[in-house]
Amino acid sequence: MVVLLLALAIPAVTGTALIVSSRGMGANSGEGNANLLSLVASLATAAFVIAAVIIRPEVDQPWLPSLGVRWQFSVDGISAPLLLLTALLSIAVVVHARSHPPYGGSPATFYGCLQLVEFGALATFFARDAIIFFIAFEIVLIPMWVLIARYGDAHDLGARADASGRFVLYTVLGSTLMLVGILALVQSAGTANLDDLAKLHGAGMERQTQIIIAALLLVGLGIKIPVWPLHTWLPPAHTIAPTAGSVLLAAVLLKMGTYGVVRLVIAPLPIGFGALAPAFATVGVVGILWGGLCCLVENDLKRLIAYSSVAHMGFVVLGLASGTTAGLQAALFANVAHGVVSALLFFLVGGLKARWGSADLATARAALREISPRLGLALVVGFAASLGLPGLVGFWGEFLAMYAAWSPAPDRPQGLMRVLAVIAVTGTALAAGYSLRVLRLIWSGDRVAPAHADARGPEWSVLAVLVTAVLVLGLAPGLLLNSTIKDVNIITSEVSR
Amino acid sequence: MSQAVVSINAGILLPVLAPAVGAAVVLVTDVVAQNKRRVHYVIALVSLAIGAVATFAGLGMLAGDTRQTLCLPGGGQCMYVADSVGSALQLAALIAAAVTLMLSWPEDKEVPRGGTAVIVSLVLAATAGATAVAGARDLGSWLVALELATLPTVALVALRGARSAISGAVALLTAALVSFGFLALAASLWFTATSSGFLSPEAALAVVDDPVRRPILVLAVVLVVAGIGFKLSLVPFHAWTPEAYDGAPLPIAAFLAGVSKIAALAALLIVIRAIVPMGASVLTAIAVVAAVSMTLGNIMALRQDGVLRLLAWSTVAQAGWVVLPLAAVSSAAVQASGAYLLAYVLATILAFAVVAALVQTRGAARARDLSEYRGLLRDHPFLASALGLALLSLAGLPPGILGLVAKVGALRPVVASELWLLAVVAAVNAVLGVAVYVRWLRAIITSVDASPNASPQAASATTPDGTVVMAAPVVRPHPVTLLAVGLSAVALVLTSLSPQLILGLLGR
Repeated sequence: MVVLLLALAIPAVTGTALIVSSRGMGANSGEGNANLLSLVASLATAAFVIAAVIIRPEVDQPWLPSLGVRWQFSVDGISAPLLLLTALLSIAVVVHARSHPPYGGSPATFYGCLQLVEFGALATFFARDAIIFFIAFEIVLIPMWVLIARYGDAHDLGARADASGRFVLYTVLGSTLMLVGILALVQSAGTANLDDLAKLHGAGMERQTQIIIAALLLVGLGIKIPVWPLHTWLPPAHTIAPTAGSVLLAAVLLKMGTYGVVRLVIAPLPIGFGALAPAFATVGVVGILWGGLCCLVENDLKRLIAYSSVAHMGFVVLGLASGTTAGLQAALFANVAHGVVSALLFFLVGGLKARWGSADLATARAALREISPRLGLALVVGFAASLGLPGLVGFWGEFLAMYAAWSPAPDRPQGLMRVLAVIAVTGTALAAGYSLRVLRLIWSGDRVAPAHADARGPEWSVLAVLVTAVLVLGLAPGLLLNSTIKDVNIITSEVSR
Repeated sequence: MSQAVVSINAGILLPVLAPAVGAAVVLVTDVVAQNKRRVHYVIALVSLAIGAVATFAGLGMLAGDTRQTLCLPGGGQCMYVADSVGSALQLAALIAAAVTLMLSWPEDKEVPRGGTAVIVSLVLAATAGATAVAGARDLGSWLVALELATLPTVALVALRGARSAISGAVALLTAALVSFGFLALAASLWFTATSSGFLSPEAALAVVDDPVRRPILVLAVVLVVAGIGFKLSLVPFHAWTPEAYDGAPLPIAAFLAGVSKIAALAALLIVIRAIVPMGASVLTAIAVVAAVSMTLGNIMALRQDGVLRLLAWSTVAQAGWVVLPLAAVSSAAVQASGAYLLAYVLATILAFAVVAALVQTRGAARARDLSEYRGLLRDHPFLASALGLALLSLAGLPPGILGLVAKVGALRPVVASELWLLAVVAAVNAVLGVAVYVRWLRAIITSVDASPNASPQAASATTPDGTVVMAAPVVRPHPVTLLAVGLSAVALVLTSLSPQLILGLLGR
């Protein structure tokens, strides 16, 4: 229990302390201190998160008796991979910032916001009370908004204000709709405990009620995931955000949406979700095509990766909608896979943007293969994983998702799901197209000017670890699939009944 | 009934008596010893503190428990009933009045128009009205107390004497008179329907099954909503709000946003509680008014460039949130509404306190202009952080968890009654509200020297010059104002860490 509370308290306290003391830490001498403090805090947090994943503690304390809200936190197979992902990437962004320090404001506030984002994400994945889940969901908003609005790309202040504003307004709309859904769910099910909700499987709830609640929750969470056509906040936010912000946004915040769908919709509202699954799968597949097509013509590299995120999350949605164990496993795997791959790509592109001064693909650059082989290697691995090359992490989730869509749960319309599976296959062809386009433009060729430095030190270590993760999880997907299978079975055995 | 009222328990009445007596003492002191301006404030704060302490006994009581006095003989009904929601509102009104007085703490040299004794006694009188209405259970004292809470504020707004103050006062007076008309009519209809002078559930219950009298009672309730709508700044009765906030002296605007709103909601809740037993009805009038108020208030607030007008329109929107849970008539809704109001008052008072401190240090013109808040975080980190927390609490975003929890509570009765459309309108308005406050917040965290032409590296390296050097010599805010900011900020931080501190006051 203490382990779990420490895993939450350390980032919360460190983050608040860094922000409050940001004036005391001067611009130059404070930079190193803030980074060091943040690094120590992230390492300690990660240690406690790992301990919590191993010993699986539970916390249950009253917080708001008037509203029946309790501090309920625990860990299970579904949240464990996401917790580890969050904790490890939080270390990675701090380490990476040693190579690319933040600009635009006080470094202490920057690191403080990173810590608070980590706190909110961990609390979301730990939470077992639906209202606490919602509050934790909201905690990440303002720190991430500050990261974008203050530390984002300052070339175009109007665009920056627009991107940060869109991010916060879209997500607030999503989370408030989710809140309405959560309140309705808690009201009709009579409990706010996520485990109890999952055990109930919608028992005693009318089909109509289930559909209304599931619709509210899916729209709300769909903004966060994001699902086409609710994704329009994502590309500008990613384009403007500083590297650390982009990484956390793609690798952690988007996962909160899909995680919420599993916890709040699929498990407690099987009938309602079943009714909406065909529509959900359809928008997911539209997202796959839409994202892929946008990537084929997009000239801003960061924006391109953002659109590819929309496509990848489309596969996650397709897997979730299939209603089978394989589909859910695929979705959870693809979720983590996208977290690793998008983190790798955003670290990489953030570094390239700092070197190039922009992320425009239309400008002629020196070929990465020639002048910076390490960056080049990471780029090749990242995009190869992104296009779903077998043997890399991106393959399993998407392959399994399409397989699950081809043979969905009995109550799903098989014909539609098969059509969607076929369209999703075309989506992987689009992914191959845009990945190779990017590689052709910036990796291959023989231009060697303008030269820039290769990755080294902290930047290279972060990239190397992520490249390793892409390979390891790609070669041994069982590591992850075995962790989730038990809890997935609990959900799907009832869903398919 | 010819017999005198039997029971008078001064201890239970103390939250009302203390500010009322305080007002009289201030006036007497002014006659006896002139030019003792600070003494007036000290007397006022002491009387408010006594009243506040006296409410403690009524806080956090179990549902159904009350402290009552002024009862009719023979176990009859009581004219003054303080339950936990009423006591919590009284406490909030007394504290908000104390903060208001701290914000208007007299400078050494200048004498405010009208003299401090008049201002202080008017504030105390209006506060006494606010605490009285929270306990009033009979039509007469309910009406009189509500007007006592309103009319002194007209004078307080007008006292500044400036043109804008007069127009604000006229707007407020007009609204007060029309509102009184509605409420008086509502009171007479209530009496017609129930033949009872008491706003009690028993009176309403007797009418439920009567096809003739029930519509009269419903009309009375609708008129109450309209009359209170003026005082709570609900659309379409909101038009006076921006005028009055903008024209009034700043502490008085804070008073209008705090104590006056508490009085109005307390009055409304008494009527709502009386009709709760009528059954699972939904007050469509409140649902419509809440939805329209939120939407219009937020949209207008988005367009404002002056912070006081922004706060005024945000009041309109927040008033919609305050009455939102009441669309579903239940005792949980009454508590949710009270909790939302307390969260709103706390955050708004903090915002006003920060603006007041900025008026003192930067001058009124700069403190009232939204664009002048750019770079506040660097110039005044403490004030900027406090303001940021207040705005986030109003927006309902962490770290302003109090506001977030209040929103959760406000939405709960609406969802429980399956008012889906209203819930979705509220959700959309949560977004609009965030847009309003984030606009202000962005100004606060933006650094002044970040211009479109400056390269990012240069922007971070440039040190402040120019504007700061040319600005007036630095004037520190009055220590009492800073104390008000500090106390409100500490209260908001504590209640955000543990919102139960507020929720618990309203009953278990």
